[in-house]
Amino acid sequence: MPELRKDPIIGRWVIISTERARRPDQFVGQPKAQEDPKACPFCEGKEANTPPEIYALRPRNSTRNGPGWDLRVIPSISPFLRVEGDLERRGNGVYDVMNGVGAHEIVIETNQHIANLADLSEEQITRVLNCYADRITDLEKDSRLKYVLVFKNYGKGSGSTGIRHARSQLIATPVNPKRVKEELAGARLYYEYHERCVFCDLIKQELSQKERVILDFDGFVAVTPFAARFPFETWILPKQHCCDYTCIDAESRKNLARVLKAVLLKLKRGLNDPDYNYVIHTAPFRRQKVGYWKTIDHDYHWHIEIMPRLTKVAGFEWGTGFYICPLPPEDTAKFLREVEI
Amino acid sequence: MGELRRDPVVGRWVIVDTDHPKEPRDFKYEQNVPSGGLCPFCYGNEFMTPPEISCFRDPGTASNAPGWQVRVVANKFPALQIEGDLDRRGLGIYDMSNGIGAHEVLVETPYHNKDISDLLPQEIENYLKMCCLRAVDLKKDNRFKYIMVFRNYGAAAGASLEHPHTQLVALPMVPKNALEEIHGAQAYYNYRERCIFCDMLRQELQDKERVILENKYFISFCPFVSRFPFEIMIFPKQHSGYFCHMSTEEIAALAQILKTTLAKLKKVFVNLSYNYIIHSAPINGDIGVEYYHWHLEIMPKLTQVAGFEWGTGFYLDPTSPELAAQYLKAAE
Repeated sequence: MPELRKDPIIGRWVIISTERARRPDQFVGQPKAQEDPKACPFCEGKEANTPPEIYALRPRNSTRNGPGWDLRVIPSISPFLRVEGDLERRGNGVYDVMNGVGAHEIVIETNQHIANLADLSEEQITRVLNCYADRITDLEKDSRLKYVLVFKNYGKGSGSTGIRHARSQLIATPVNPKRVKEELAGARLYYEYHERCVFCDLIKQELSQKERVILDFDGFVAVTPFAARFPFETWILPKQHCCDYTCIDAESRKNLARVLKAVLLKLKRGLNDPDYNYVIHTAPFRRQKVGYWKTIDHDYHWHIEIMPRLTKVAGFEWGTGFYICPLPPEDTAKFLREVEI
Repeated sequence: MGELRRDPVVGRWVIVDTDHPKEPRDFKYEQNVPSGGLCPFCYGNEFMTPPEISCFRDPGTASNAPGWQVRVVANKFPALQIEGDLDRRGLGIYDMSNGIGAHEVLVETPYHNKDISDLLPQEIENYLKMCCLRAVDLKKDNRFKYIMVFRNYGAAAGASLEHPHTQLVALPMVPKNALEEIHGAQAYYNYRERCIFCDMLRQELQDKERVILENKYFISFCPFVSRFPFEIMIFPKQHSGYFCHMSTEEIAALAQILKTTLAKLKKVFVNLSYNYIIHSAPINGDIGVEYYHWHLEIMPKLTQVAGFEWGTGFYLDPTSPELAAQYLKAAE
C-alpha cells in the first residue's frame, strides 16, 4: 500500500509509492561524457575571461585576477539581480513590482578542472564552506538585502550550464523568499506549541529509529527525510542547535567538510555520478522588525538539503506541490549506508 | 535592470529579466520526437491496460476493444490506491496516512502521434467532456478532497508513454499549492469582496499586452508573474469554481482556445514538451467557491529548475511574459 507522509516542518505531503516496486540500483546512471577542458572559463590562467573577482584565496605574491589562486568568487556572467540601484517597490493594478536589486555570485571551488565537489580534498571543501560564510557575512552589510541562498547545480540535469568545473552560487535577494518563509513559519509554529526545535526533535527521532540515517559522525547527521520528495534526497544537519550557518566555528566547518564529502562520494559511487543540487537552508538576516525574530535562535536550525536529479518533476508535482517519491527513504538510506567510500 | 514581480495570489516573487531577454531561438530544449513501438494506448492493445472505467466508443463495439474515441483506464502503476481507509496517524513527530486515492489515465485519442493541437475541434470537445465526467464521478466519493487533472506531454515533461494522455488524481487532502492559492484568494476576498482572479482578468484585458487569445468564454494570456518562459494561463471569463461544471457551449469554446494556444506555442517551439494542469476548487469540504476561479496552466519545458528555485521558491524567468505574448500572438 502506498503511504502518504507529511513533512513536519512545512506541512508538504508526499506519496511514497510502492506500486512500481523500484529498487535503489535501478537509479544507477550512465557515466558522464568528457568535455574539452581548454574551453573552460573557470580554470587557472583564464581569469581574463571572467568578470573581476570579488573575493579570492591566493598567496600574497600573486596578483588579483591573475593565476595562483585556490578559490575565487566572481559576479555571475549573466546575473538576474544587480547590486546597483534602488528597489522602488510599487504597485501595478493587482500586481506588485520592484527593481531587480540583489547579488549573484559564483564560487569557483578549485583552480583545477575538477567537476564534482566530492573529488576535492577535505581541505579544499573546508575553504569552500568558509568562503560561503565570509560572503554571507559581507552581503549582510548591504541593508537592502534580506536573504542569501547558497546552492550548487551539478550536472546538466540540475540546471547547470554543463561546464564541468566545480562551482557553487550565491544569490542575495531583497525579499525573504516564499520557501524560506514557509520553513521559518513551520519551525516557529512547532516551537510555540512544544517549546522545542522541530529539527532537534527530528534528529533525536532519526537517531533512535536509525532506519533513515546514512552517516552520524563529527557532530553531523546525514539522513534521508521521512517525507522525501525525491529518491535519494539527503539532508545534513548539525547536532548542535544553531539557526545561522555563519555562526558555526572553524572546527565545525572542518567536520562538515568531512561529512559533506562522505555523503557526496556515496552518491557518486553508489549511483554513478548523478546530477544533483544542494542548498543551504539558513536563517535570514535579522533586520530590525520589532519582535519578529524573537525566537528564531531557538526555533530554527540550519541544514543542507541535497537533491539528486534522478526523476523528472511533472505536471502533478507542479500542480499540487504534492510529490511522488518512487522509493521509500528507508531503502535509499540503507543503500547509501552500504556504499563504501 | 531585471524586475521583481509578486504573484498577487500566492505571494511568490519572480525575477523577470527585462534587460537581456531570451528570444525563442536562444532556448536549447530537449525535442520531443515520438519513436513509435509497442504502445498500450493504441488500437488493438487494449488488453495491455487495466480494464476501462469509462469510454466514448462507436456503437456496437465491445468494451476493451478498438472502436473508441476517448478511453479512461486505471493507471497501471497508481501512485494511490482506491480501496481502504485513510487511517491517519502519527509516528513521533511525523504524520502519515495510507495512500488512498484514485489515479486514472485518460487516453485522448487513438492516434499515437497526434497532440491536442492536431485534433479536430469535435475530438477535443469529447476529450474535455470526458475529463468533466470523470471529475463529477470522483467527486461523489467523499473520502476525496481534491481532484487534479494534469497532462505531461513529451519525455522532458515527465511523460513515460508517448501516446498523448491526461491523468486524473483524486487526493484525500487538499494539496499545498491549491491551499496556498485558496488562502491567497480568500484573503483578497475578505478585504475587497471580489474574486482576485476576476480582477486579474479585468486588468489583463485592459492592459492587453499579455493576452494571446480571447473568445466568448475564455481568455489565454502569459501571466504577469510567470515562473517559466512562455508560461500560459487559460481562464474562463465567467467566475466559476469547478471546471467540471462547464456547459457544452463552454467546452466547445475551451476546445477552440486550447487547440489554437497550443498550436501557437508549438509553432514558436517545434516538438516542444510541456505540462498543463487544471486548478479547480476543492471538493467535499466547506471551501467556498465564491472566491476561487478555476483555470488551466500551461508550462513549457524550456528551462530546468535548479538549486535556487528549490531553495527559495523564487523563480527566474528569462523571457518577460510581455515578450512571450508578442511571439505567441504573432505565430500563425
